[in-house]
Amino acid sequence: MATELSAGRIESVSSTIGTQREYESVIILRPDTGKVEISALVQRMQGVFEERSGRLIRIDSWGMRILAFPVERCRKGIYLYWRFLGGSDMVAEFERHMRLSDRVIRFYTVRIDDDVDPNARPSEITEELLETVAEPGPDPDELARQAAEDAARRAAESKDNGDDDDDDDYRRRDDEDDEEEGDE
Amino acid sequence: MNDERDRDRDRGDRDRGDRDRDRGDRGDRGDRGARGEGRRKRFGVGDKELVIDYKNPQLLKNFLTDRGKIVPARISGLTARQQRQLTQAIKRARMLALLPFTST
Repeated sequence: MATELSAGRIESVSSTIGTQREYESVIILRPDTGKVEISALVQRMQGVFEERSGRLIRIDSWGMRILAFPVERCRKGIYLYWRFLGGSDMVAEFERHMRLSDRVIRFYTVRIDDDVDPNARPSEITEELLETVAEPGPDPDELARQAAEDAARRAAESKDNGDDDDDDDYRRRDDEDDEEEGDE
Repeated sequence: MNDERDRDRDRGDRDRGDRDRDRGDRGDRGDRGARGEGRRKRFGVGDKELVIDYKNPQLLKNFLTDRGKIVPARISGLTARQQRQLTQAIKRARMLALLPFTST
């Protein structure tokens, strides 16, 4: 593996001794990115990883979130979390692709481990996972509105109950039906 | 479980004290010294094993003022090592628009 990686040039010292580094990367996609586009991106990147003898270990979707500040005029973004093995060239290549993609508005890579034995780190990627990752997730605005509606409805309901509770309990128990009709 | 309870308590503390902290509290520090006995500890006290991660903005929010500034160790009560991890994590989270650089 080490020889493959350094074909022509030595990428890093660690690559020559058969270990790799582990990186994690978070990217933000435009909120209007569809499922097809996301899975296309993931597939393309998997190809890139394999080609450079890196390995995609994990990928997670954090769903659509409201950004703390607008990025490239987007108020929301779809977060994708990647974890992969490779050398520094792998990161450079990954980030080059992110820069080229017009769906990606922000990316950030962090090195989390050095000298990882690539054989000890199997990929956790399954078809199922790839399927769920491609899902852009519910719109947070939509969720917030729904939650607000629910809360309002619950508040209205509990208010009614509260009114009922204020009435004398024995009366309420006795003529509950009447009371309901009266309320309406 | 324990962590969660602590965090809730911490947030409560912060809400009360945030405003005067942002105004700067150098004025009333004078006689106590920055690192002396009177050093105010508000949250994080005792959680020596607090895991600070840039991917957990909910936790990091406890260590920001309402203007989005990082709370100093003197007030956060974190150890020096934790405070270094915290600033690093907050700066990373900001890059990912998980936390604001500034708010209002």
